[in-house]
Amino acid sequence: MKGSLIGAVIGREWRTRVFKRSFLLATLLMPFLGVGFIALTVMLTEGTETRNRVLVEDMPGLITRLDAASGQYVPRCPGCFPERDLLEYRFTREAPADSVWQIEGYTALVEFDESVLQNKAGYLVYETSPGMQAKRRIERDLSRAMEHARVLESTELDWEAYQRLKFDLNLVDRAASDAGNRTEGGGEEIRGFVGFMFSAVLFLVLAVYGGLILRSVVEEKSNRVVEVLIAAVRPEELLLGKVVGMGAVALTQIVAWSVLSTLAFTGFQFAFDSGMVPGAGAVAAGEVPADLLTVMAENEFTKVLLDIDWVLMVISTVVFFVGGYLLYGSLYAVVGSTVQSEQEGQGMVFPLTMPLMFAYVFGIQAMENPDMAAFSWLSWFPLTSPVIMLIRVAVGVPFWELGLSVLLLFLTARLVLWVAGRAYRHGVLAGDSASGWALLLQWVRGHGR
Amino acid sequence: MTHALRISGLRKSFGEQQVLDGVGFDVPKGAILGLLGPNGAGKSTLIRSIMGIVEPDGGTIELDGTPWSREAVRRIGYLPEERGLYRDMKVGEQAVYFARLKGMDRPEAVTALKAWFERLEVDGWWDKKVSDISKGMAQKIQFICTVVHQPSLLILDEPLSGFDPINARRIVDVVRSLAESGTTILLSTHDMPSVERLCDRVVLLDQGNIVLAGEADALRESGWSGEQEVVFRGNDIAFTNALGTLAHLDGIEPDVAEGTRRAAIRLRNPEQPGQVLQALGQAVDILEFVKVRPTMESLFIQAVQSGAATTEPAS
Repeated sequence: MKGSLIGAVIGREWRTRVFKRSFLLATLLMPFLGVGFIALTVMLTEGTETRNRVLVEDMPGLITRLDAASGQYVPRCPGCFPERDLLEYRFTREAPADSVWQIEGYTALVEFDESVLQNKAGYLVYETSPGMQAKRRIERDLSRAMEHARVLESTELDWEAYQRLKFDLNLVDRAASDAGNRTEGGGEEIRGFVGFMFSAVLFLVLAVYGGLILRSVVEEKSNRVVEVLIAAVRPEELLLGKVVGMGAVALTQIVAWSVLSTLAFTGFQFAFDSGMVPGAGAVAAGEVPADLLTVMAENEFTKVLLDIDWVLMVISTVVFFVGGYLLYGSLYAVVGSTVQSEQEGQGMVFPLTMPLMFAYVFGIQAMENPDMAAFSWLSWFPLTSPVIMLIRVAVGVPFWELGLSVLLLFLTARLVLWVAGRAYRHGVLAGDSASGWALLLQWVRGHGR
Repeated sequence: MTHALRISGLRKSFGEQQVLDGVGFDVPKGAILGLLGPNGAGKSTLIRSIMGIVEPDGGTIELDGTPWSREAVRRIGYLPEERGLYRDMKVGEQAVYFARLKGMDRPEAVTALKAWFERLEVDGWWDKKVSDISKGMAQKIQFICTVVHQPSLLILDEPLSGFDPINARRIVDVVRSLAESGTTILLSTHDMPSVERLCDRVVLLDQGNIVLAGEADALRESGWSGEQEVVFRGNDIAFTNALGTLAHLDGIEPDVAEGTRRAAIRLRNPEQPGQVLQALGQAVDILEFVKVRPTMESLFIQAVQSGAATTEPAS
């Protein structure tokens, strides 16, 4: 019977909110807006590249030769300068004045001398920047052409043989430990940033849904429903049902966002890789078109998204959300039970959420220096752990610390829920004679009965 | 005899203020008991104690012959004085929610609610939002939510407030029919006419104590001190002379019918009204000679003002 009563309370809280138009709209729109933002970033990166005609001034004659048939300078390594729709090269061994090459329709001029092979530096002269993407391509093409020149001049290998022997080593960071267990380390700033993004989302969800609990309790007091409810359900059960019901709404939203975001991203990935997205085909003819993940990896922002261990982060977020929500949700409900209006409640909630806000601000600092001692302590402390531990999970945290933090959080949440149930009973049944802190103080003086 | 509700020695204080000071009474099964008292007398605290909303400092409460338990409370139908509904919920959905809190499952609740909606003529409002219905309509919905689980004990705190006279009469009829079918009813109200119409027993609380309790008819009878109303045709002086020392004349005025007079008298010896009737009959033409028992309102005022405890055995 008790279970079904709490179930009824949870069901009401869930149904009345999940089937609201505003909730459905926010739940359906957010993932598409998020993926849309990523898509826009990718498309802007890929799609806004302008057409560039580049004149390469090869004064030392390192990478060009005179083509007898055409009388033009052509690259010694034609494959190093693939044909592209938006990037075209011409070569010269003269030094034209800026006004001359611009009149001839070139958008940029590349200059270098003999020292280029030693100091690896040249100049890109332009009036309007050709863009980061084009600059990277010019650098890559010229580097290969220089490499080609050096191979031919300094070794006995031919270019094809050199290409086969060429070796690029990729070093993956590993963090050493006394126990000899090496964990994937390094890249901590990016990982910390990822963790911080999750903790920021958690912070927002806790604040928003805590506010909803407050509003709901105040509403039940002001519309006089609470007395009928308390007659049927114990205040502690009502509080639990309310907090869990509202938490279920938040979890529904988080799960819906995760599923819809995955679907939306997969859809976009399919469209991009199939060339259906504007900008996706901006590659050299003859080159294999880059897929979405490759393109994202080239962009500093989207690269971060690929570095996320989504499964670990989503599970951790859900666990810390549940614990943090039970803890803060109960406190919000107690505040709601003692006030006469939502405005009065907001004033009281502020000091209660200070630890959470402190954790959020501290998290920004900790992101850059995740090894500081206070970071560990705060990740165990239940009032701050929901926010801080998520950053540590992203950076890498020993299992026992994670377990300890979760245990402390849930034990504290259970204790707070128990105390909150009693304070809630006192609050919701009190008349209009006292409210807010005065009412809470009255309850404490009455030995918390 | 098993009582639907038995309260003994109930005490409750809030800080220095003693709100209930050893209250005790019984409500037999099937009775309609009026719980009366001025504001602040302790009625709401008493009801909240029965409902388990307030924890008493002392005393006992028995429900249906068994000690108080949360499970037994759930079988009570409770309509608090300060009541409301969720404005954003649909009427039917909300009624089902309250029925489920009383232990009904959804299909059972829907069937019972549909029958009650039809009975109180609100069946067209099932899918409407509460914010779209009138106050009177909302009152009906609250009443339905209170009785839908067929409680054996019904506690109604000011059930008629907010109703127009027609709907108030309809609710009174429903309450009466519930009582006839065996439901015990505890009615807390300031509306004395409805107490006279409905209640067969009353308990009057003042400052946390019972100052008057017993069967309504017996209390009114015991409160009678010789008041009579006489309608006659004849001379006022002859009427007054005939009264002599047998009764005191409180007033005399024309009655509705032409040539008739209506007099209010108080018998000096309430045991012998026949003696007065005989004396008056010799002087004027008596058309009516009616015993005027005190109203519940006058008993209420008298008991509260005197503060004297007049308590009959409650059962």
